[in-house]
Amino acid sequence: MEFIQKKTADITVERFLTKAAESELSLVWDRYEGQLPECGFCETGLSCRDCLQGPCISHPFRDSNKWGVCGKDKDILAAQSLLRLVLKGTMVYLDQLNDFAKGVESGEVRPKNKEKTDQILKEIQSLAHHGGKQIKKELPKSLIRRWEETGISPEGFARDLFKASQKLEGGVGDVEETLLWSFKSSLLGGMAHWLQGNLKRSVFGDPVPTKVEVNLGVLKKGVPNLLLYGSFSLILKYKIAEEAKKKGVYVTGVCTDPLIPPFSFPQVTNYGSQEIPILTGAVDLIVAGNQFVNPSLTKIAKEWEVPVISAEGLKREKDPSHFARQILEKAKKSFDFRRNLLREIPEVKEVAMMGFSRETVDAKKVLAALNQGQLKGIVILSGSNNVKYTQDQEMVSMAQEFLKNDILCISKGETSVALAKYGHLNPALKENYCNKELSNVLSSLGKEIPSILDLGDGNIVDFLFGIANAGKKELKDYPIVAVFPEAHRSSEVTEAMWTVAMGIPTYFWPSLPVTGSQKTMEALTKFCFEKFGSKLNVVTEKKIDARVKASLVLKALKGEEGFGMSGKPWK
Amino acid sequence: MKVIIVDKTKCTGCHQCELWCGTEIASVSKELYQAIHEEPHPVPRVYVEGKDFALQCRHCEEAPCIEACPNGTMRRDPETGLVYVNEPTCIACWMCVMVCPFGIINPSASMKVAIKCDRCRNMGHPICAEVCPTQALRLEERKDYRKKAFQ
Repeated sequence: MEFIQKKTADITVERFLTKAAESELSLVWDRYEGQLPECGFCETGLSCRDCLQGPCISHPFRDSNKWGVCGKDKDILAAQSLLRLVLKGTMVYLDQLNDFAKGVESGEVRPKNKEKTDQILKEIQSLAHHGGKQIKKELPKSLIRRWEETGISPEGFARDLFKASQKLEGGVGDVEETLLWSFKSSLLGGMAHWLQGNLKRSVFGDPVPTKVEVNLGVLKKGVPNLLLYGSFSLILKYKIAEEAKKKGVYVTGVCTDPLIPPFSFPQVTNYGSQEIPILTGAVDLIVAGNQFVNPSLTKIAKEWEVPVISAEGLKREKDPSHFARQILEKAKKSFDFRRNLLREIPEVKEVAMMGFSRETVDAKKVLAALNQGQLKGIVILSGSNNVKYTQDQEMVSMAQEFLKNDILCISKGETSVALAKYGHLNPALKENYCNKELSNVLSSLGKEIPSILDLGDGNIVDFLFGIANAGKKELKDYPIVAVFPEAHRSSEVTEAMWTVAMGIPTYFWPSLPVTGSQKTMEALTKFCFEKFGSKLNVVTEKKIDARVKASLVLKALKGEEGFGMSGKPWK
Repeated sequence: MKVIIVDKTKCTGCHQCELWCGTEIASVSKELYQAIHEEPHPVPRVYVEGKDFALQCRHCEEAPCIEACPNGTMRRDPETGLVYVNEPTCIACWMCVMVCPFGIINPSASMKVAIKCDRCRNMGHPICAEVCPTQALRLEERKDYRKKAFQ
C-alpha cells in the first residue's frame, strides 16, 4: 500500500496546504488517502461492471472465479478495461470538436479564413460517416496503408465507435481484436484533435508564440478575477475575453487554452492543485467546463463564497454573447460582494513562451540537427497531473534529464503549464537547463526559444509529420518517444494509443488497467511492435525514481529498450 | 487475546481481503502487479465464503487442528495465543485440513505444507482488517466481543 509522502513539488502550492489543514479542508491528496487501498481488481483491469449479472472479477489467487459470469477471462477483461477508457477518451475529443464547430457555425465569430473554415467544417461533418477522407490524404501513405492492413483505418465514428462499444457487450473477439478496436477509436480521437487545431487556426488566425504568465502570482488584487476552469466552447471563452476587456475584468484560466488569438489567458495553476487558487481568496467567479474540473471545486468555492457557473449545464444560456455578458455581470457583482475579504496572493509567477507551430519551428532544421547528431532524439511530454505522484515532480525531473542529454522536448496543454511553472518555457532560462548542443540547436530555430517547445492544438502532429516528410522516412524510424509521466484522464489514454498507432513508442505512467493479464501486456508491446513498429510500454514497477524512468526512455531512444521494467520479455 | 471480528452486515464481498492477503502475505514479490503473475499462485490465507462472509482462522481455544497434528507442527504462540503452522516440520498429511470446522486451512500441493491464517502474527496489524473498505473486519479483544454478543 502507498501513501503520499510529498504532495507537490510546487512551493507556492505547498504554502497553502498548511492553510487548508488548519481550516480542516480536505484537498485532493486527503481524499486520495481516504480511498486507499484502491480496489486491486479494478487497478489491474480484472473487474467488469458491463452488465447486471455482475459485477464480476477474475480472481488472480483463486480458481473458482477466474471467469466472469458471461465467461470473460482475465485477458479479455484487461483488454476491455483499456477499450472502455479509450472510448471515453475519444468522446472527449469529439465533444470538444463538436462544441467548437457548432459555435463557429452559429456565426458568432467572424473567421479569419472563411474558405478554409467552411472546408474544415465540411470535413468535420463527414467525420461521422466517412472518417476523415481529407485528413487521410494529408497523412503519409505508408501509415494509412498500415492502418488499412490491420483494419484500424477509421470509417467514421458513427460506425467505429458504436461497434467498438459493442465489443464490451459481448462477442467472440480475442485480445488482439479488442486492442485493434481500441486503436481504431483512438485514431478518431486523434483526427478530431487535429481538426480542432486546424479549425482554431482558420477561425482565429495562425498561432504566434506569445508570452503567457503562469502560477498563482498572476492573480490581481484590485480587480475582479474571473477564472475559466477546464475545456468548454472556445467561442464562449473568446466572447468572455472580449467582454471582459470592455468591463475591466481580469480573466485567467486553470487547465484551459492559454491562447485564443488575439487573447491570451494567464494560467493560475495546473490540474493537481486546481483547488488552491480559491484558497487565496482572490477568485471572484469560476466558469467551469467538464474536462479537468474536479467536482470538489464547488464545495471549496462555497467555503470562500465564490460562485461557480457551469458552462455546459442543461439550462445554460445558448447565445454565447449573451451568456458572456451574464457571466461578466455576475463577476462584477461577486467582486463587490467579496470586496472586504482577505486576498492573499503569493508573488510567484513565471513567464512562458507558448504557442509554437510548424510555421515557427522549422522541421527541416530539427531534422538536420537529428541527422548530424546534435540532437539525440525528440521526446513528446504529455499528460496532466496524477495524485499518485508528487505533483509535477516526475514530469519536471524527467524533462530535466532529457534536456541534459541533448533531447529536444516538446509538450502541449497541461504539460506545458506544469513545466512552465519551473521556468522551462522561459526563453531567458534556457541555458540553465539545456546541454550545450541542444542549446545551440534551439537558438538556431529562432530568437526567443525556451528549453521546451509548447506545440499545442494539434501542432505536435503537424510538426512530427513535417519531420517525417522532410526526411522521407516513417515516424517509427526516427528517435522519437512519447512520455506520459503523470497521466490521469481517459483522453490521455486515447492520445497514447493514437501516438503508438502513428509509430511512436510511448511510455505511460501510471500503469494502465491491463497489468492483470500478461497476454494483454504482451500484445501492447510485441503485437503493437509488429503492426505499428512501436510499443505502448506499461511499466509495472511502482517504486522507481523519475531519473530511472528517464533512463528507460533514453534507452528506448537509442533503440535498446527491453520489454517492461525487468528487462526480460513477459512469459 | 485479539481476534478479527467480522460484521456480516458490512461485508460487501469485494474480495479485497483475499487479494491483499495473497499479495502481502502469500506472494514472494509483495507487489500486486508482480504477485498476480507469480507461479505457483500465491494462496491467500483468508477468503470470502458465499456472497458476503469473510472467513479467517478463529484461533479456537480448543483447536482441533493442534489436536490432530501428529508431530506438533500446528502450534499455539504462548504469548499471543495465535495458532500457526511451523512450516519446516509439516509433513503434508492434511489432518488439520480435515478437522478444521471452518475449512480455513489450505493444503498447498505445490509447497507441500498446510497454509493457514496466523492473523499476521509477525506484523503489527492483520492486512485484511487494514484493507477492508467497509471496516467489516476489525481487530478486537475476544473478551469485549463476547460481552457484546451476550448483551
